[in-house]
Amino acid sequence: MSGLKTSRRILASTAAIALAVGVTVAAGTSANAAEKPTTGGTLYFVTNAEQFDHIDPARVYTGRDIAFLNSYLYRNLVSYKPVAGSAGSSLVADLATNTGVPSNAAKTWKFTLRAGVTWEDGSPVTCADVKYGVSRPFASDVITDGPQYLVQALDIPTEADGSSAYKGPYKKTGQALFDKAVSCSGNTITFNLNRSFADFNYALTYPAGAPVKASKDTGDKYDLRPFSNGPYKITSYKIGDQLELERNPKWKKSSDTVRTPYPDNIVVRFGLAEDVRDQIMLEDQIPNTASLDSLQPANLRAFFADPTKKDQRFNVYDPYVRYAAMNVKKGHMDCLDVRKAVFFAINTQALIDLSGGREFYGDPGDSPVKPVLGLDYKKTTGNIHDPNWKITGNATYAASLLEKAKTSCPDAYSRATAADKGIVWDISNTATNQKAAVLIGDALKAAGINIKFNFIPSGQYYSTVQNRDKQNDISSAGWGADWANASTVIPELFTKEGGFNLSQNWDDPAYAAFKKKSDATKVETNRAKQAKGWQELGQYVMDQYWIIRPVFSKGQEVWGSKVGGVYYWEPQGNFGFGGMYVKN
Amino acid sequence: MTQKPFLEVKNLNVAFPTEDGLVQASNDISFTVARGETLAVVGESGSGKSVTSLAVMGLHDRKRTQITGQAFLNLESGPVDVISADDEVVRKLRGKAMSMIFQDPMSALHPYYSIGNQLIEAWSLYNEGDKAAGKKRAIEMLDLVGIPDAAKRVDEFPHQFSGGMRQRVMIAMALINNPSLLIADEPTTALDVTVQSQILQLIRDMQKEFNMALILITHDLGVVAEVADRVNVMYAGKIVESGGAEDIYYRPDHPYAIGLLNSIPKIGELDSKRLVAIPGQPPSLINLPQGCSFRARCAFSDRVPGNLCATTTPTLDEKSTDHFSRCHLPEAELVKARKEIGGK
Amino acid sequence: MLKYLARRLSATLLVITLVSMSVFGIFAVLPMDPAALTCGKACSAPVIEANRHRLGLDVPVTVQYGRFVKGLFVGRDFGEGAAKFHCPAPAFGYSYNRHECVTTLVAEAFPVTLSLAVGAFVLWLSVGVSLGILAARKRNEWQDRAATAFVLVGTSLPTFISGLLILLFVALKFNLINPIEMGRWVSPLEDPVAWFRTFIFPWIVLALLYAATYTRFTRSNVIETSSEDYIRTARAKGLNERDILRKHTLRAALAPIVTLAGLDFAGLLGGAIITEGIFNLPGLGRLSIRAVLRDYDLPTILATTILAAVFVVVANLLVDILYAYIDPRVRVAS
Repeated sequence: MSGLKTSRRILASTAAIALAVGVTVAAGTSANAAEKPTTGGTLYFVTNAEQFDHIDPARVYTGRDIAFLNSYLYRNLVSYKPVAGSAGSSLVADLATNTGVPSNAAKTWKFTLRAGVTWEDGSPVTCADVKYGVSRPFASDVITDGPQYLVQALDIPTEADGSSAYKGPYKKTGQALFDKAVSCSGNTITFNLNRSFADFNYALTYPAGAPVKASKDTGDKYDLRPFSNGPYKITSYKIGDQLELERNPKWKKSSDTVRTPYPDNIVVRFGLAEDVRDQIMLEDQIPNTASLDSLQPANLRAFFADPTKKDQRFNVYDPYVRYAAMNVKKGHMDCLDVRKAVFFAINTQALIDLSGGREFYGDPGDSPVKPVLGLDYKKTTGNIHDPNWKITGNATYAASLLEKAKTSCPDAYSRATAADKGIVWDISNTATNQKAAVLIGDALKAAGINIKFNFIPSGQYYSTVQNRDKQNDISSAGWGADWANASTVIPELFTKEGGFNLSQNWDDPAYAAFKKKSDATKVETNRAKQAKGWQELGQYVMDQYWIIRPVFSKGQEVWGSKVGGVYYWEPQGNFGFGGMYVKN
Repeated sequence: MTQKPFLEVKNLNVAFPTEDGLVQASNDISFTVARGETLAVVGESGSGKSVTSLAVMGLHDRKRTQITGQAFLNLESGPVDVISADDEVVRKLRGKAMSMIFQDPMSALHPYYSIGNQLIEAWSLYNEGDKAAGKKRAIEMLDLVGIPDAAKRVDEFPHQFSGGMRQRVMIAMALINNPSLLIADEPTTALDVTVQSQILQLIRDMQKEFNMALILITHDLGVVAEVADRVNVMYAGKIVESGGAEDIYYRPDHPYAIGLLNSIPKIGELDSKRLVAIPGQPPSLINLPQGCSFRARCAFSDRVPGNLCATTTPTLDEKSTDHFSRCHLPEAELVKARKEIGGK
Repeated sequence: MLKYLARRLSATLLVITLVSMSVFGIFAVLPMDPAALTCGKACSAPVIEANRHRLGLDVPVTVQYGRFVKGLFVGRDFGEGAAKFHCPAPAFGYSYNRHECVTTLVAEAFPVTLSLAVGAFVLWLSVGVSLGILAARKRNEWQDRAATAFVLVGTSLPTFISGLLILLFVALKFNLINPIEMGRWVSPLEDPVAWFRTFIFPWIVLALLYAATYTRFTRSNVIETSSEDYIRTARAKGLNERDILRKHTLRAALAPIVTLAGLDFAGLLGGAIITEGIFNLPGLGRLSIRAVLRDYDLPTILATTILAAVFVVVANLLVDILYAYIDPRVRVAS
């Protein structure tokens, strides 16, 4: 492993927190089964954002961007099934003829390319194109922000500083090493991995594994005009203005079993003021428009309160779990009783209400793994199911736990309670968090805990708390699975090698047993057995209170009255763009 | 000086409505000036000297001024009452039949335009002819008022001239259309003492040159003695004494005029003890009470029999031939008073 | 005059150099690490270092500045190996967030801001000045009171409120603009009508604010000038009221507005952040606010800051020269 890795699944520290009203979440589709999709027209998308974070396949790493680009512009070896519900999390062959053939204890993966797939200039998509696409993330001085799964998993030696010995296709340093790890034989591409990787094919749903035609690669500028092999191609893309797609005449339905292109043109309009965007949606001013953003809280509430718009919205669990990580390193939150005391003291209800209530923000959770992961989630015991837990906080019980800590771990007790010491909580500096800090402070004070807050500018929040020396006792965070397997959650968050371990738990007495089980589960090729492993590890994490107060958060999407075929694409946590069409 | 007067002002009243009440700035003023004649109007600031002249020129904002009475200009085409005439009629008399020059020649000239520009502008209002003709005339006028190297300086700007030169420019501009009446409102007050008499001399020369009626507004009785034929002494909006310049200078009838004369130094009299300012302040012009406006400051009011000064407003009476005064003081007391103060 | 110009121009160059140095200096001391910010939310040390190298921040700040200055004159190469590319002179740098040479970004954004500024300028100057003159002429009458009310509304409504009000309750409510097309740049040379429709509401919003200030300023200047002695002189000459106003009063009353207008216009050229944001105009204001708040993009911030400084300094120079032509007293002094 090469140290920390980037993940799209870290919840943006500035993420707008939406308002909410119900408990039951109506996931799924607005598409009337009897309704037949219509072809043609222009489908608009509006957003307050200035641009897609990236559109270079090697650099795309947010669910929305992946879902959009993967539906329209570029194809991967494998893709998620473009359907609503949990079936959407299953893999289908896309560029490949199957979903991959593992061998050598899942350390070698082979994919055979489908025939007849072409680029937008009519040239065929070759195995060399896939290989070239996979090589690009290694050029870390050009290709930034993208997922690092391939860089970390491919069997290429690392240097002393942890970086790969292969420096990417621009400098070509270590090219032979890469050529050994990824090889083409006819239409078959072979990946040699440095470990058993049972769900490697899921990692290839990221466009970082998509083909790139070397002659069209423009380095950094490829992020403005990627070459298409999907049903659409880019007519124009100007950051801050709009992205315009038109049908790619070289794309053939016969070569693509995944995509169902309906509109003739797709236009994404960037940079709209939030009020303008909300007005467009509330007034249905451009009925063939969908919003790429949720709305502002008051407008969202109005939109969801309008019965005429019941088929133009959904409110679903997003891919994230929001939580507070306990830094259990010695000298920090190294005492289980203190961690529990903090958890039981907190007024969860108030915090959820502050962010918009249970309908739009989310529900108290009981695991680092979200139920939307299906197999890997199981209702845990203890924590929020403990009879002593109250959603509004239980100061008395928390005080009694603290009393226990007085004898079980006197040092930690003194740190948590002494007026001149106190627990320090890292939190990003937003208006909502300023208020949340007051609520948390009051609740903990009632239980006798002395808490202080370290407000960090939101742009630097994660880079600060991920610095192991700078991280304080408790850090607010959010995480979502990279794909429908808790292998992208539990090891990432709770093993020393993980990319987002804010618990620093490797010195905890409970760690050794956990790590052993986690490693075993990760390479378990029997999916049912693996799921059981993750369920037990989720319980373990909760029992150790390495994280507290998970919230299973929700997201909302809205669209106009002339947009049909909308469904929630669960694995991407976003629209299933491919099914959307403009009604006549 | 027996010709028909050019300007005849009859019972002119000028008042300004304010939030505190009506300010009666100029009260029942009557006088005449003939061409070639010089009338000096003398008084402290606020006595109504300028207000009266501005009314004649039609320079008061009618919306904010109440003017009654008459002021006839006896033009060749017949008399025109500038008080009752249309704005437009009066405007076309300004700069042509009557002109005015002001106290501060710096602020009275537009700082952004060359003096040539400003002179030509005045000329072309009443003359056909192109700019070149106007410029020729401007240079002529500048030459006439004693601006050296006029042909060059015509293109210069006011700030490039000294105070005296600027006043010469003002005079040139006022006279460029050959007016019959010139009103000079304290034309030398803002100037250096050395320049004052030059300007005064220039005005006199010009008066002769153009045979104008001249109203010279001043608070300086010394000036009066030099140039005036007649003098109106004003106090609190009224003419308190009026007569020939010599009469007033040597035999002032009104205690205020006596006081004014006494407050100027005279050549040869170095005894500073004799220079006495008039004590006190002029009264407010709002709701003037009955009686003599000057009584509070008058050194002789106790010599007036009864309580006449307080109860009865004195009228402007002819005390001797063509010499009018507005005072209750009996003749005998007046002679005594003149002697006491030092009049001759 | 030439000597004066030379002196002023060298002072201008000095100011611009100091501004660019200050921006570099501020960046160097700020406790932010652009290398960490642009490599995703979680970076490994080697990736951060690769980033630092990519951004050119791995050398001392003096070297960075030297490269920057050199780039301005001879252009600059970015990237290495097959990914290398060139930004031609004058190169302010390369924006890795927008994948474009900063000079190109600025050149694209400038016409937008220029259109916004020019139109708003014309509108606010004509409305503000004529309303101010009207109010002064009709002092204390209903026209004056109406103008006073306008001044009160215009100066007390912040742009982000008036902008939203006009946008939501006028422009969008009555379908006067298509929200999806809103703010898209159209060259006035290609499609003057579309250009006008893009800018008319932003012009109104900006002009509302400025026009109010100019109304107030003009009104008081005209009133003050009207009581000047030289206006009385003009009247004594026999000039009619219209000529007095036109030639004498306004010349003096509006002269200070030249200074004000010149500097306000230059300020606007630097970018109208709020108005551009509300109306989705891709101008310099949005370019810089985005570079500061979202991207922490030094080359873009540098370019927009320097450009804004250039506008202000040059406007100062022009205003001074212009003023010398208006007021002969200044001419001699300089």
